[in-house]
Amino acid sequence: MSIVQLQNIRKVYDTKVAVEDLSFTIEPGTMFGLLGPNGSGKTSSIRMMIGITVPDSGTVSLFDKPFTRSALGRVGYLPEERGLYKKMNVLAQLTFLGQLHGLTAAVAARRATLWCERLDIVEAIPKKTEDLSKGMQQKIQFIAALLHDPDLILMDEPFSGLDPVNAFLLMSTLVDLCSTGKAVLFSTHRMDQVEKFCNSIALIHRGHLILSGSMREIKSGYPRNRILIHFEGGDAFLQHPCIESVTRYNGHAEIRLRPSATLADDAQSLLTQAIQHARVSRFQVMEPTLEEIFIEKVQETLPVKTGKLSMAQLEKEGGGDIDA
Amino acid sequence: MHNVWLIARREYVERIRTRGFLITTVMIPLIMGGLLFGSVFVNSKSVSEAHIAIVSSDSQLALDLQSELQQQQAVRMTQPNSSKVTRLTVDAMSIGPDTRAILDQELKSDDLDGYLWITAAPTLANSEPGRPTFLFTPRSPEQDSLRGTLAAALGPILMRRQLANRGILASDANSILQPVDIRVTQAPHVDNRESSQIGVFILFFLMYMVIMLYGMNVARSIIEEKTSRIFEVMLATIRPEEMMAGKILGVGSVGLTQVAIWLTAALLISAGGQGIHVTLTVAQVVYFFVYFILGYAFYSSIAAGLGAMTNSEQELQQLNLFLVLPLLVCFATLMSVLTYPDSTMARVLALIPPFTPLLMYLRVSLGHPKHWEIFASIALTSASIYAIVWVSSRIYRVGVLMYGKRPTLPELLRWLKYS
Repeated sequence: MSIVQLQNIRKVYDTKVAVEDLSFTIEPGTMFGLLGPNGSGKTSSIRMMIGITVPDSGTVSLFDKPFTRSALGRVGYLPEERGLYKKMNVLAQLTFLGQLHGLTAAVAARRATLWCERLDIVEAIPKKTEDLSKGMQQKIQFIAALLHDPDLILMDEPFSGLDPVNAFLLMSTLVDLCSTGKAVLFSTHRMDQVEKFCNSIALIHRGHLILSGSMREIKSGYPRNRILIHFEGGDAFLQHPCIESVTRYNGHAEIRLRPSATLADDAQSLLTQAIQHARVSRFQVMEPTLEEIFIEKVQETLPVKTGKLSMAQLEKEGGGDIDA
Repeated sequence: MHNVWLIARREYVERIRTRGFLITTVMIPLIMGGLLFGSVFVNSKSVSEAHIAIVSSDSQLALDLQSELQQQQAVRMTQPNSSKVTRLTVDAMSIGPDTRAILDQELKSDDLDGYLWITAAPTLANSEPGRPTFLFTPRSPEQDSLRGTLAAALGPILMRRQLANRGILASDANSILQPVDIRVTQAPHVDNRESSQIGVFILFFLMYMVIMLYGMNVARSIIEEKTSRIFEVMLATIRPEEMMAGKILGVGSVGLTQVAIWLTAALLISAGGQGIHVTLTVAQVVYFFVYFILGYAFYSSIAAGLGAMTNSEQELQQLNLFLVLPLLVCFATLMSVLTYPDSTMARVLALIPPFTPLLMYLRVSLGHPKHWEIFASIALTSASIYAIVWVSSRIYRVGVLMYGKRPTLPELLRWLKYS
């Protein structure tokens, strides 16, 4: 059974194609990362999953059934643009939002209090929302999406603007929920978050799906040809013949090895040489990062531009458009 | 339906609790009452005291005029509607060498409001005294109204003199000149039209104000939700139509509550105290609520549409002409409908939906509309409310997710085609 199934979704706003031929599925118990630069169609896709907008073509299925509004009782949604009633008391607000999701007032209020305890914001309960800090408001919103114990949790950029401590708190909450069999989808443009927590991803760029599947599958399709080395001393070993390119930083370097059938041996030989020249404090052989894979994929599928694309450039391209 | 109820209840509870609601509930009647009593008070004060001087070589004429003025004033005081009576202080004086200079000086220093200069006419050939000439010098044009009072007092005096000249006894002359007194009484089973007109007018004004105020509140609360972006959370569970309906119902109930508070207070006050008496029949109150609800639904759904296509209060200000204009037309025709509630113009206007709530209400209260007219007005307005809600909810559905520039007309038409 799959929680979400998108098939050939397409959505056009006036002249701008927001999403084109997008398909993926989310299984129960999955932490699913929806990735892409700003304006790539993440929010549009999420909105179509919950019927805020309707796709021009293609089908959306939730919980193995074609989309109906009755399924929304099992979905929790944290929109990218946070919004709460500013003048409302926090508990009243959470109760109200819980009631809209079909809870009784009593149950909603009890769960709201429990969640506030869990997320360490008990002191916010009697306050007005507008008196809270932005981070606290974000936690309230986070709670609002989870009050009714949804089976599918959709989080649009859930960690933007949060400090690392709180971001970690929310992330581990999501991981907990995921381990109880809920499906969590979160969208982000931060590849490192995805790399750490997600077991399944979809990469989109300009409304097109570029890459999708489980993290392990995707990574295993790439050779372990990246080396991260932290060292002190001479850097003559960087002239080793198996090295294709090097990026030097202060105290460390990122190395890309030449394609070869014996990558593991090449890495060993490089390490041997490095030890002779310098004091090595870290030596790690790995697959390309998600960011590298993403950039590579974008360059493959789109007309090649001169020079190397970076995330920042991609964002600049997409950022001007309406993220609708 | 449950969602509509939840939204409406939240809207209602949150609004009732605000200080703004308390303030408008208390302040608006206070301000209106204050204005009403204030204007009465100012009216009774401003012209109520007047000091005039009568200058005449014929001192008897001056004295007669003085006593006649005082007598007439005493009569007028005893009559109802006596708020406008001017309390006169009259000085009679004979002509001295610099009388005019002194009087002019007093006028200048505001001690005097005007003086009447009587010049005796030369005796005619048949030894009858001629008519004296009168010259009134008011301090300012406002005191010109005193001229009428003076003329009314002089008439009987001169007549009495002429009668005396013709040998008629003073007592006979008095009985001849006895003023006619017509009393006013009320026919049975006809309501006091004037006070009911005042009552209806107050209700009309109330309806106008509340529709205006709360219609704009609907628009404003939609904009507020757009700026706080809460609607996106809401749209993840409920339909835009439910949200709009809930909003309109919730805000409207607040308006109804406020009107109910005002009406109850007004009834209690007019039952308990004297003063301004407002009589309203049960039918007038019932029709008031019927047409109030129609009017509110009509204008607030327009407002909801306007709110959905704008992003800020400033933008809304530019569009609120659509709300204000029809209401202003009602106001412009108010006086003529009030006076001739069954004229052709009133009958036609009252059937046009934007004007129906206010004007048909006036006709029902004061005129004699036919049954089919009442029925048609309600049916037509309901049908157009349905149409407006349909259009507005479509605009709402798309507009609420749009931000950035305000839509152009062709864009709006395209929004209507989205389903």
